[in-house]
Amino acid sequence: MTLRKTLLRGLLPASGVLLVVAVAGLLVGAGDIGPARAAEVVLGGGDADARFTVLELRLPRTVVAIAVGVALGVAGAVLQATARNPLAEPGLLGVSAGASFAVVLAIVLGASATTVAPYVAVLGAAAGCLLALGAARLRGAGDDPVRLVLAGAAFSGLMGAASSVLLLANQRAADEIRFWTVGSVAGRDTDDLLAVLPVLLLGLVVAVAVSPALSALTLGDDVATGLGHRPRRVRAAAVTSVALLVGGATAIAGPVAFVGLVVPFVARALVGPDLRRLLAVSVLLGPAVVLLADVVSRLVVRPYEMPLGVMTALFGAPVLVAVVRSSRLPAL
Amino acid sequence: MKPVNTMTEARRLETASLTLAHGHTPVVRELDVELPPHRVTAIVGPNGCGKSTLLSGLARLLAPREGAVLLNGRELASISTREVARTVGLLPQSATAPDGLTVRDLVRYGRQPHQGLLRQWSKADAEAVEAALDAADLRELADRRLETLSGGQRQRAWIAMAVAQDTEILMLDEPTSALDIGHQLEVLEMVRGLAARGRTVVLVLHDLTTACRYADHMLALSDGRIVAQGAPAEIMTPDLVRALYGVESTILTDPVHGTPVVCPTALAVAPEPASVTSEAVPAAT
Amino acid sequence: MKTPPKTSPKTPTETPTETLTGMPMGTPSVDVPAPRPPRESVAPPVPAAPPGTFRLATGGLSVLVPLRPLLAGAVLALLLVAVGTVCLAVGDIAVAPLDALRAAVLGSGSPRDLLVVEELRMPRIEAGITVGAALGVAGCLMQTLSGNRLATPDTVGLNNGATAFAVAGIVSSSTSLLPSATALTGAATAAVLTLALSGGAGQRGYRFLVVGLGVGAVFGAVTNLILSRARIDAANAAFAWTVGTLNSRSQTAVTVLEVGLLVCLPLAVVLGRRLNVLRFSDAVATGLGVRVRPLRVAVLLTSVVCAGLAVAVAGPLGMIALAAPEAARRLTGPGPVPVLTSALAGAVFTLLADLIGRTVMAPLEIPVGLVTAVVGGPYLLWLLLTTRTRRTP
Repeated sequence: MTLRKTLLRGLLPASGVLLVVAVAGLLVGAGDIGPARAAEVVLGGGDADARFTVLELRLPRTVVAIAVGVALGVAGAVLQATARNPLAEPGLLGVSAGASFAVVLAIVLGASATTVAPYVAVLGAAAGCLLALGAARLRGAGDDPVRLVLAGAAFSGLMGAASSVLLLANQRAADEIRFWTVGSVAGRDTDDLLAVLPVLLLGLVVAVAVSPALSALTLGDDVATGLGHRPRRVRAAAVTSVALLVGGATAIAGPVAFVGLVVPFVARALVGPDLRRLLAVSVLLGPAVVLLADVVSRLVVRPYEMPLGVMTALFGAPVLVAVVRSSRLPAL
Repeated sequence: MKPVNTMTEARRLETASLTLAHGHTPVVRELDVELPPHRVTAIVGPNGCGKSTLLSGLARLLAPREGAVLLNGRELASISTREVARTVGLLPQSATAPDGLTVRDLVRYGRQPHQGLLRQWSKADAEAVEAALDAADLRELADRRLETLSGGQRQRAWIAMAVAQDTEILMLDEPTSALDIGHQLEVLEMVRGLAARGRTVVLVLHDLTTACRYADHMLALSDGRIVAQGAPAEIMTPDLVRALYGVESTILTDPVHGTPVVCPTALAVAPEPASVTSEAVPAAT
Repeated sequence: MKTPPKTSPKTPTETPTETLTGMPMGTPSVDVPAPRPPRESVAPPVPAAPPGTFRLATGGLSVLVPLRPLLAGAVLALLLVAVGTVCLAVGDIAVAPLDALRAAVLGSGSPRDLLVVEELRMPRIEAGITVGAALGVAGCLMQTLSGNRLATPDTVGLNNGATAFAVAGIVSSSTSLLPSATALTGAATAAVLTLALSGGAGQRGYRFLVVGLGVGAVFGAVTNLILSRARIDAANAAFAWTVGTLNSRSQTAVTVLEVGLLVCLPLAVVLGRRLNVLRFSDAVATGLGVRVRPLRVAVLLTSVVCAGLAVAVAGPLGMIALAAPEAARRLTGPGPVPVLTSALAGAVFTLLADLIGRTVMAPLEIPVGLVTAVVGGPYLLWLLLTTRTRRTP
């Protein structure tokens, strides 16, 4: 596939969709500011109420959703390549759950959420990541892409239950904690984003840097070594990038599952299995998916909102079923 | 030498224009075969010719697409599975058992068709199990766990289960696959013994020479149709081998048993009209 | 060809077969009597019952009682009584174990003991035992059905389906729509979805599981969706449903579950006999005269009913259905499918988990579902990571 084709088949539609949902994210909401009034603001006019809603609430939220989407989409693509498993997804494998449990634990132990969250979450994500990949490398499990997912689900369930127990034990912090058990981008502002931005950027840089070596690794360790890569180092770097990205995303939006599954799945359908092209498309598709889920989550239960994590599960679980149903799991 | 069926008490299994299909692809087409009672019948043919499918159809694992399988003239599908199980025993290909089962445990399962909720174990059951263990020469191993046995012993245990079922007709799907020749003989000698004691045995076999040696009757299948049937010594010719496998061969005679021995010599040069053979033949020069 | 083939190739005199059977081969089998006498006269006497079993027989009727499962059942029953007694005795108001037992069984004792035991603790224990037994049976049936010991009502999405429907019922209507009915519908819906999407439980066991995971995730999301749009008080009432607890059980649901168990347990035991055969391949089972498809349907239905009704009482209580049959198999050994033993083990585990939940952080109560998740999660992980082959249970 030539660069032009990649552009035509992947990047163009992805950026189109992203643009549409980003605008929709500004125009649509659960409250009374309808699309028409919001559009005036976007065009530079509008009344004070509408300006506040659109510029102070929806705009930061949209930006946060974009950041989270980029992080999760890229993390999904990298993790799938590392685990060589089309079902490997940060949410499903318990990486997100590990991150959010770490944050909950930190809060219960007395830390304030905003300051430490990103770093603790990265640590938790790294632990979850290592556990998942360790599981994949255990005898037998690696040959069976599906078993890895089951192990991840078990780990996620365990972390979720442990978080709930902590939540019970510490009623005082319960409200602060409850946020960490379902993902959401509602009410997040630019300060929150700035706190995690360094982590996300670092993760992104590592992901881009490691992608050529990682794509060589999909041909097998021996071939990659022959091409001058060091498989262990490459994998370590990949895990680091996933931990940074997922930890950062979880720190700001809580555990959001299935994005890392859906995005590479769609991207692969658009531009094929090459990792670098996948990453390029995922950078655009990730935010598109998260924004879309966020916009829909504002609309389905008006005047309430539905947590983002719930919405992505509704989107993502059918994709999971579709991937498993495909007669032969694509080898990665 | 098709045996004339004079015995009225023998259960006859036959097919009437039987067509079997997996999904929409017919695998066995309009087959009329009859299994000679008290004999060993071997079904042979190239990979994918429908051997195992035919056996599945005969054993009611696969419902006929068209036509019927008849047991004593009654349509097999109309008889209750349990009743069939008292007449037709089946050992499918590469059967696996749960861990931890002993040989006797496994053989006991063969009695299930004869038991009921309040008739769980009778003297006849016990005797049949012991007799089956004897027939398979497994008495010493009866209390060993299956997973500790060798492949041949394990296969014998499975056959013993089918024997304990005490059915007049016994079907074995490739009972010797994945066994070395020692274990193959072990199993096939046992099969001969069963036929000698009045069972009708049908088995799918891969190896022509083995089939010739142990079968009284042979069904050669190609592309879901019968190419030849009869006594091995009569039907086994180089022409048949070529038609089945696309292989040139010489047919020798076993110096000890007098049965045909098939020696493949070369791939046939001209592609055969039968579609199965075309894949075995390299592209024309 | 060197020599012409003989006309009757199966009559050479030196075949080993002949020495084995003492009978020339190929002779017309009219001579052969169909029921064969035991071959060797030196054979040891035929035992009355297979080893490890005890035979009860009168006239033409006979029942085989396997000894080891019987023993395992007795041990578990004793354990159940012991744990139950502790459950009765322990709590905010301590009651001496013997007094508690007397109050529960004989209905005598001090008024205070009677109040605490009969009014407060007995119903909870009753719910725990029935829920645990139902989940144990459901898990055992489901595992055997799919030939995979990880396939249980919670892993294949049944519990989540039941919960979603039950929560929908509670939140939507002011009249108390029977949670048992909605939960049962939900469990059945989830089962049908999972089965249809995965193309059957029998083949590709792990695909069945992941599809179940996906279906479960959708229903979990639906539950959250319903809770997030419900009025807050209704949502609070329904929140207990998302973890699994014995605290907010409805007595009606417990009664329905008991009736369900009265039907399902005997059914499961009868099915269990055939289920033994289902642990082999379908072909072997058919060969042994078992009609595989109706049996599968019946087993699945029983499992769905047990799981659905149990969820109606206690919410999506996980891990019991996984661990109980596992423990039962360990205890009973590789004999018959341990349906009753699983029920007992499930009851014991549930009571034990509830006891832990009530005592560890007292006066705070940890819902039993969280206890089973925290205790059972590592166990499930360990199972997943150490099981090598896709063996039937």
